[in-house]
Amino acid sequence: MKTADQVLPYQRIGQEEASRGSVFAVCFCFLFSMAPHFLTLPIWIIVLVIVAIGWRSLQNLGRIRELPKWMLIPLVLFGGIGVFAEYWTIVGRDAGLALLTVMTSFKFLESRYHRDMLILVFLCYFLIATHFLYSQSIMTATLMFATLIVITATLITLNQRDEHAPVLDRLRTSGKLVLLSIPLMLILFVLVPRVPGPLWGLSAEQRGGVTGLSDHMTPGAISNLIRSNEVAFRVDFDDTVPEQSRLYWRGPVMPIFNGYRWTQAPRQPLEVLRMTVFDEPVSYTVTLEPNGEHWLLALDIPTALIEDSVMTQDIQLTSKKEINDLLRYDMRSHLSYRVGLNESSDYLALTLGYPEQMNPRTLELGRSLAQQYDRPEDIVDHVLRMFSEQEYVYTLQPPALRGNVVDQFLFETRRGFCEHYAGSFALLMRAAGIPARIVTGYQGGEFNNVGNYLIVRQSDAHAWTEVWLQDRGWVRVDPTAAVSPSRIEQGLDNALSGEDSVFSIQNRNPIFGNILYSWDNLQHSWNDWVLNYDERRQRDFLSRLQIGIDNWSDMVFALVIMLLGVTGLYWLVSWYRDRPPKPQAYEILFRRLSKKLARQGLARGPAEDTRAFLRRAERSDYPQSAQLAKIIELYNRIKYGRQGSNRHSLEQLRTLVEDIR
Amino acid sequence: MATLALPRPLRRRIDRWFDSHNPPSRDSITLHNRRLYILPTRFGYLFAGMLLMLFLAAINYQNSMAFVLTFTLTSLAIVSLWHTHKNLLGISVKLQIPRPVFCGEQVDFRFEVSHANLSRRYAIGIQYGDASPVYLRLDPEGSCEARLRLPTHRRGQFRPQGVTVFTRYPTGLFHAWGWLKFDLPILVYPRPLENARLQQTMIAQYDGKTSTSTIEGDDFAGLREHRKGESLRHISWKAYARGKGLLTKTFQGNARPSLWIDWSLLHDGSPEEKLSLMTALVLAAEKEEQKYGLRLPDVTIEQGFGNAHKHACLLALAVFRQRDPDSEFSLEDS
Repeated sequence: MKTADQVLPYQRIGQEEASRGSVFAVCFCFLFSMAPHFLTLPIWIIVLVIVAIGWRSLQNLGRIRELPKWMLIPLVLFGGIGVFAEYWTIVGRDAGLALLTVMTSFKFLESRYHRDMLILVFLCYFLIATHFLYSQSIMTATLMFATLIVITATLITLNQRDEHAPVLDRLRTSGKLVLLSIPLMLILFVLVPRVPGPLWGLSAEQRGGVTGLSDHMTPGAISNLIRSNEVAFRVDFDDTVPEQSRLYWRGPVMPIFNGYRWTQAPRQPLEVLRMTVFDEPVSYTVTLEPNGEHWLLALDIPTALIEDSVMTQDIQLTSKKEINDLLRYDMRSHLSYRVGLNESSDYLALTLGYPEQMNPRTLELGRSLAQQYDRPEDIVDHVLRMFSEQEYVYTLQPPALRGNVVDQFLFETRRGFCEHYAGSFALLMRAAGIPARIVTGYQGGEFNNVGNYLIVRQSDAHAWTEVWLQDRGWVRVDPTAAVSPSRIEQGLDNALSGEDSVFSIQNRNPIFGNILYSWDNLQHSWNDWVLNYDERRQRDFLSRLQIGIDNWSDMVFALVIMLLGVTGLYWLVSWYRDRPPKPQAYEILFRRLSKKLARQGLARGPAEDTRAFLRRAERSDYPQSAQLAKIIELYNRIKYGRQGSNRHSLEQLRTLVEDIR
Repeated sequence: MATLALPRPLRRRIDRWFDSHNPPSRDSITLHNRRLYILPTRFGYLFAGMLLMLFLAAINYQNSMAFVLTFTLTSLAIVSLWHTHKNLLGISVKLQIPRPVFCGEQVDFRFEVSHANLSRRYAIGIQYGDASPVYLRLDPEGSCEARLRLPTHRRGQFRPQGVTVFTRYPTGLFHAWGWLKFDLPILVYPRPLENARLQQTMIAQYDGKTSTSTIEGDDFAGLREHRKGESLRHISWKAYARGKGLLTKTFQGNARPSLWIDWSLLHDGSPEEKLSLMTALVLAAEKEEQKYGLRLPDVTIEQGFGNAHKHACLLALAVFRQRDPDSEFSLEDS
């Protein structure tokens, strides 16, 4: 028997000094939970964290003394001012995280008792949440669960009060706890009624460094964007996917030109969309990655609105809120249409404007075309023919342009990407008196046949033009198609083959390709089911289950029932696994014998073991002592003998015990 | 920090209710569901506060993974609730009757803690009142002895009634506990007067007409010089009081001197001081192997000697006019 011995000083739970092992555990735990932030935090904060943790560890080893208490006030001030100097604020995502980190480091320096350690562990739990403000990917989630296990193991270390318990044992217990909480978490995730946010205003710096379409277009802008392999959005079509050449994803429309840069017009909502359509609508669901802007992507042209969205006068779908989180919406488009027949004269005047003094050669060419042809269609054809027949090259690495950029491109370098062709084409049209505007967005996409959806990446970014014709309204003209038809028909990779890095999955090794498609499919499902699970999706999902849970009270009721059910199940299983072993048959017989003897006045003493008791019974003047002697011998043989209990000896014991009165 | 997150009056009420449902035990106590209670600790409430903050942040940022984290931590708390409960369930505690001590010494509580299950139990705490606990680890089907040494402030016979066995393992968010009521006596004898003061007191007492202890040895032989190490019992205090120095009474034959330690013969000092003096006399007499008897106003113990006799006398002294007989053994000096 082990003995735990203690003479009591009066002290309450939590106020005792933290044990050496627990201090190390908490230090490690903090560094582990902080680690991903070390990539983004300013260097001085990282140094500060390491110094603080190092100090506390050395102090724990007895190498240095505790930091004097009065030092903490200047340190905290220094930390606060430092953070403010770095970010010019102390709230918001980045500054808030920096402040939390700095203050937690200082808390380490003044931590001393068991309860301080517990509070530090709680802060580590809190730190996990900060990672999700930066990324919510599957990898981040996996890292979160790993971190969760480490932090919980630290919490177990603190509460185990046993310095010698093996670390692996703690990690296993912690892993078990986290694993067991996952089913409960899923129930909570599905059933806790979601409230639409935000509850309070969010600062603007929410997202940073998001690549994507811009609100203006200059030569080179899109060819830069195209180098990014990031997914812009994914599309699930309700029926078949339209052919590649018809997949024009309409984004920002830019009718204003200053000689160098194309920009958007002030956003004016469209009152009525007058259009004629020639085909059945295409229905699909877009899962848009956050772009930090307002535009929603849709197939040209969208004929539906979503919640909190506006259609502008240039038929661009925009969201009222900045898109800072993954957004999923159902959309409908018509691919064959006629729109803008009665466009306002103000808007037409806007789409005819250009600065007179820039790009003189282009303007001259445009004007001469207007004299040469009567029909605007012929002018369009002429320019497209010019692009395809003359030596124009479609390249991702166009030479840099300066000054009269359109002139330079059209008449000198003749090498350009879609924005060069779209921009110069639109200017030529305007010079020839045809209203024209730039439309940016994406063209095409890559079909994932593992998950049956379309992946559209930043590398699919594209720019094309729309010209306004008297009796046809706004007509899409894609000059890039004239230069490089394969870009539109087969995608960028084929159009640029050999020249640049290849992004899409389809051209790779088929096995590797399938793995990548499966991975992307997983991410798509993740987006779909985890990141997008909001109030609306919750309602949809629960009503689709058809179990009659469709309001708050039902949800809470189902939640409680399921939580109780699962917890009860856990309880039963663990009880069954830990239950005391069944008494051996000979023990049961012995108990029966003891009862019989007790009736005869031979009670077993509280501290008497079975052997001693039987021996005492035998020595007493009990009439059947000879029988008892036999029982003792048999009992000892069964319990301590090499052969143990077998059927024969047990039967013998049973008869002997039954003989006792 | 309070051991429990319950205010004291409420605890007392639950205590009384508990008492009426679970009579104190002489034997070992096994913690079954009905004897087991569980409540969040202060850290548990802090954790809940943190969860609420996370939940609000998740709503505000509409951050799905923040929801996942919040719900995982909530589930972790729920799972640790039954883990904590399970960690204590089925624990048996047996208290051995503590050896009687003299007031001022420490009572040595020995608890035998065991369980019959196949799981390993960590951080099983045994605590008396609010004093800091001792923690045990129990192997599968294992047992362990816990010793608590508690200071004594008051003589008397008490009941050990503030014993709790508790655990916060694994997460410290919940405190599961069971009250252990043992029907065993804790005996605290009066503090014996120290030797030096004993002499002075004896002299002072002897100045009067009466004698603290009346010696009834008829074979009194005479006085001789007192030698160091000899019993104080045999000193002639009468002679000492007259300024003759320390003289030892000698006796003839085998006859043991027998004496009465008598309350009514003491006239100086408070009752507690008198009891201290009498305790010292009992111990001295026992050491000298004299026959002695005890006279208290309501109790008389006939002359005798030996261990049992000594303890009977000391017990009588311990419980003599005890203010609240059989009360809870308390750690506070009241």
